[in-house]
Amino acid sequence: MPNRLLDLQNNLLAYLTSSAAIFGEEDATSVDPALRGIDRELLHLEARFSHDKRLAKIVGAFPRTFELFGNQQAAVVREFVQACPPVEIGRIENVRQFHAFLVTWWQRHPPNAPHLVDVAACELACAEVRVDRDDRPAELENDDPRAQQGTIRRPPWVVLCRCAFDIRPIFEPDSRNSVLEKRDTRLVISLPPDANDLEIFEVNPVGFDLLFMLDDWTERAVFAEALEARKLIASLAARKLLEVRV
Amino acid sequence: MTTQSCSSAVGLGYRSAISDWTRANLHRFDLLEITVDHCLHGSKAKRAAIFDLVGQIPLTAHGVGLSIGTDVPLDLAYLDQVADIVERLAAPAYSEHLAFTRVPGRDLANLLPLPKTEAVAESIIAKVQTVQSHISVPFLLENISYVFEWPDSKLSDAEFLNLICRETGAGLLLDVENVYLNSRNHGFDPFDFLDSLSPGLVQEVHMAGGIDLPQESTERVFFPDTHSHPVPDAALDLLDYALTRHGPATIILERDDRLDRFDEILDDIARIRMRLNARGSISHAEPAIGPAE
Repeated sequence: MPNRLLDLQNNLLAYLTSSAAIFGEEDATSVDPALRGIDRELLHLEARFSHDKRLAKIVGAFPRTFELFGNQQAAVVREFVQACPPVEIGRIENVRQFHAFLVTWWQRHPPNAPHLVDVAACELACAEVRVDRDDRPAELENDDPRAQQGTIRRPPWVVLCRCAFDIRPIFEPDSRNSVLEKRDTRLVISLPPDANDLEIFEVNPVGFDLLFMLDDWTERAVFAEALEARKLIASLAARKLLEVRV
Repeated sequence: MTTQSCSSAVGLGYRSAISDWTRANLHRFDLLEITVDHCLHGSKAKRAAIFDLVGQIPLTAHGVGLSIGTDVPLDLAYLDQVADIVERLAAPAYSEHLAFTRVPGRDLANLLPLPKTEAVAESIIAKVQTVQSHISVPFLLENISYVFEWPDSKLSDAEFLNLICRETGAGLLLDVENVYLNSRNHGFDPFDFLDSLSPGLVQEVHMAGGIDLPQESTERVFFPDTHSHPVPDAALDLLDYALTRHGPATIILERDDRLDRFDEILDDIARIRMRLNARGSISHAEPAIGPAE
């Protein structure tokens, strides 16, 4: 029968990635008839193994976010499973998928800590700079013909994150009793190629806006006339927040 | 009984996380197994570290991204990339799992079994032939560990593997740990499985060790494929037995977790070598141990 095996495989993966299989919350009718001959307990086990592997990738990127979920954690994970089946195997793809889900989830369920949205965004930014160094696809590393003499850009190891709270204390080693200040905070997350540790620091609004604009190679001369801009570029470049082709 | 020489090369599955340690201990291994997907998707530094090994130590090529069992046409662009990697590594063979991991739109990132029927075997045979037409070195299929079985399977594990390999000329990468786990999880005799494989079919071997996982909901204990702990003696016994009928060119220790337990890794390598050396110093007319009771 044409496509019979693919039908079975589609049904199996739909089931194994469902909350019914992962959390064992099904009734007999929720199992596709084509799968009913398979040992149900073993299907649960397979679903759970796969889910745990996927969730480990996600929790590994959002440790503080998961801690702040508190008693919402189980509900968040359950709804995520229902809304977002795994589409790709990669760590960063699953991390991005989870953050995109959180953004929509918070539209319906207010976060149980006011700074949670900022923490999740910052942890996503941390994951992005790490993936840039650890798993950057080959095509991004090829010499870019646009990177010509006299051009500048924000390098891929720098990610920006604008927050409603100054959440930096949460990322300090002993953050349990941190008091967070509610104020517009422009953070830069940076992990240059020669650095061992990721850095999170605040920049002023002008510097943040400049970095925001420079997400692609841009003629430095565009800014050359303004002395303040030149100083700012030199300062950012010295901190490895800008790449400069001379 | 057919006897085989025991001149297999013994090596380690290369992992970037312990690249420095591996590099400092190359003299302890006869070869390394490279996961071709890490050459395709890893960072520039990680890929450079892998290709830097070419010429320093023999390398063989293993894949995790083909999903040969998914009932859609193979990704030929992926195969072409693999062919390039295999050539750059100067690998003598390329292996993949007889399994599927994904369907269009969903990727479980876990190896899943196929229904063991002649119709499915036919489909796999055609795909193996496609792989063979793209890759210039011998292609090997690896047996997986599986949690569940398809009810409409008509063939045994060994019959399924024998059929596909016979029709294509592909070899078998025998994962001994997977045989051991499957035999415990699904209640069959692993020695019977090894007896049922066509003589000489096994071209490479994987060894690994894992943990027992008691299930909360039942009294059942499941033995998952974790590749995280020392190779159990029972798996070494199975290796001994397999070597009576097969002459694999390589035996690779796979470790995916607790990678910093270098003492365990080196001890496993030593224990595998001891088994090989013991086989080399005795008559090969009979297996070193008998089948399980």
